[in-house]
Amino acid sequence: MKHLCDRRGRGAMDRRAVLVGACATAAAGAAVLPWLRDRQGKVPVFLARHQRYDGSLERTIRDGLLATGLEPEGLRGKRVLLKPNMVEPSRLAPHMTTHPAVLLAAAEVFRGWGARVVVGEAPGHVRDTELALEESGLGEALAAAKLEFADLNYDEVVWVKNQSRVSPLAGLYLPRTVAEADLVVSLPKLKTHHWVGVTLSLKNMYGTLPGIMYGWPKNVLHHAGIPETVIDINAALPPTVAVIDGIVGMEGDGPIMGTPKRMGIIAVGTNLTALDATCTRVMGFNPQAVRYLELARGRLGPIEDEQIVQRGERWQAVRAVFQILDREHLRPLRTPEPGVLTS
Amino acid sequence: MTSDTNWLHTALEVLSTEAGWRYAPQGPLACEPAALAALALAGHGRLDAARSACDWLLAQQGSDGSVGVYTGQAQPGWPTGWALLAWHAWQRGTASRHFQQAIDRAAAYLLAWEGKPLPRTPEMGHNTMLVGWPWVEHTHSWSEPTAINVLALRGVGQGRHARVQEGITLLIDRLLPRGGCNYGNTVVLGQELRPHVQPTGLVLLALARQPTADPRVAASLDWLHSAVHERLAAGPLAYALLGLAAHDRLPREWAAWLPGAAARVCARSWGRHVLALLALAALAERSPLVGVLEGSER
Repeated sequence: MKHLCDRRGRGAMDRRAVLVGACATAAAGAAVLPWLRDRQGKVPVFLARHQRYDGSLERTIRDGLLATGLEPEGLRGKRVLLKPNMVEPSRLAPHMTTHPAVLLAAAEVFRGWGARVVVGEAPGHVRDTELALEESGLGEALAAAKLEFADLNYDEVVWVKNQSRVSPLAGLYLPRTVAEADLVVSLPKLKTHHWVGVTLSLKNMYGTLPGIMYGWPKNVLHHAGIPETVIDINAALPPTVAVIDGIVGMEGDGPIMGTPKRMGIIAVGTNLTALDATCTRVMGFNPQAVRYLELARGRLGPIEDEQIVQRGERWQAVRAVFQILDREHLRPLRTPEPGVLTS
Repeated sequence: MTSDTNWLHTALEVLSTEAGWRYAPQGPLACEPAALAALALAGHGRLDAARSACDWLLAQQGSDGSVGVYTGQAQPGWPTGWALLAWHAWQRGTASRHFQQAIDRAAAYLLAWEGKPLPRTPEMGHNTMLVGWPWVEHTHSWSEPTAINVLALRGVGQGRHARVQEGITLLIDRLLPRGGCNYGNTVVLGQELRPHVQPTGLVLLALARQPTADPRVAASLDWLHSAVHERLAAGPLAYALLGLAAHDRLPREWAAWLPGAAARVCARSWGRHVLALLALAALAERSPLVGVLEGSER
């Protein structure tokens, strides 16, 4: 049942152009996909602070998406897939998974713009998705909001050619729900990651790939290289935007066993690379030391501070250094970023 | 068997048709759901219906003996163990050898299919050199596929095979120091991980009637017994009950928990294969997943 479905070429660019960036132009010479910039040639990222789960998240998310170039009139009738992070939910660690309030607020924003909203996730460490929904609290929220859920681990699959070929994988199996979405919204937590440094909106997209084809954990991707496959997956997806739940993040031994880090921020972007680079700075790390961000640079978006324009709060104003394991492979994260002032 | 058997009748009716051989009602026919349906139907004596699912699985078997995820999707071959168990259960129910060739080819495939060992490092708590079974070719061995295939191969008389013995060693090695297991990591970068109900149930099922003095097995049974409850998600509940049944440790109220779990599965548009698992759990120690181990220690 291998579907040869080349949907990542011109059509994907056109769909993105419809959804994002009236004043945007495609970056010249992009290796894989173009990204969109403002008139000054910078990519916008939105940060909001003093956010609470019982606060006005819907307004924050709407403001953030508009401030970073999303054009809501293009969303009417479109299929929008919301992708929270439920890698290995546990009631013992609610700071591990996207808070239901953030998911519901994002859903209401897109519903308000006339989109057909579906929530989908392929938990990486848990074969039973009912358990993942219960442990994360998302199941109750989905039912209350009458939101449709797609179990991406067991969805019918579509094979797409790996256009970016940063990893050796020739192609990727995407759940049909993902492949046919008009927009995928990454809804991760702001977390450290004990192997790759940080896990934010790009890494969260690991959870769009189906366990039936990649396993639990998705070990095929690990063997092909985590940083490399992060890039390939994101390059293969339909247009993406992101809303990062940084109200309570995770520091230390993330993404599963770390401790809560209260930040009170919501971060929004229409370019996931720029957004993740900014949030990496918020966490007190050097984005150039995050291998997959370095690989994303020039392919999926910019990571240089001078190529990113801050909307809402400046990242320096919300920066709070996250603890991370004292391991050799993580120490470069602490190296100062040349030419970037942190305060 | 349960306080309310209406759910079971409904479940077996669904599993008797192709509608029960899918992960989702609108999804394609899939091998794991079909195999679980065949096992449940055979266990409940509906051998004609089980035969239909077994025949369909036979049509999915590749020339190398493997059974993939969907029709025409030969790899990954992780559902092969489930298909083998389904054919075996039908043969036990009918005293037939109709699927013996398919069983032999599947067993040969599984015995040749190895997880990828990795050099031992201080970062990983488990013995990365042990070889069990992976989910996908050319990747590391993990607890659940190893448990499925240990169970399947023990069932067809390969319990003494070196691969199966190493698989059993691996399953015990992946148990957490304080009991239970997860997908297959124990300690990573010095941090002990959390146990999960579903893999613990499946692993304990695969380890049943296998003498061991390792205290982690007893600790895992204790943990699983304490972790199972009425509102547990249906899939983990089914695996937990099967694992506990195989060790004669079922909680007293277990049968009353199944109707509610089945109702939750029927109310959703995904994860419908869990209905077969609940039907198997309803059989407790008479489930073919437990019965397959009869005499396997020989």
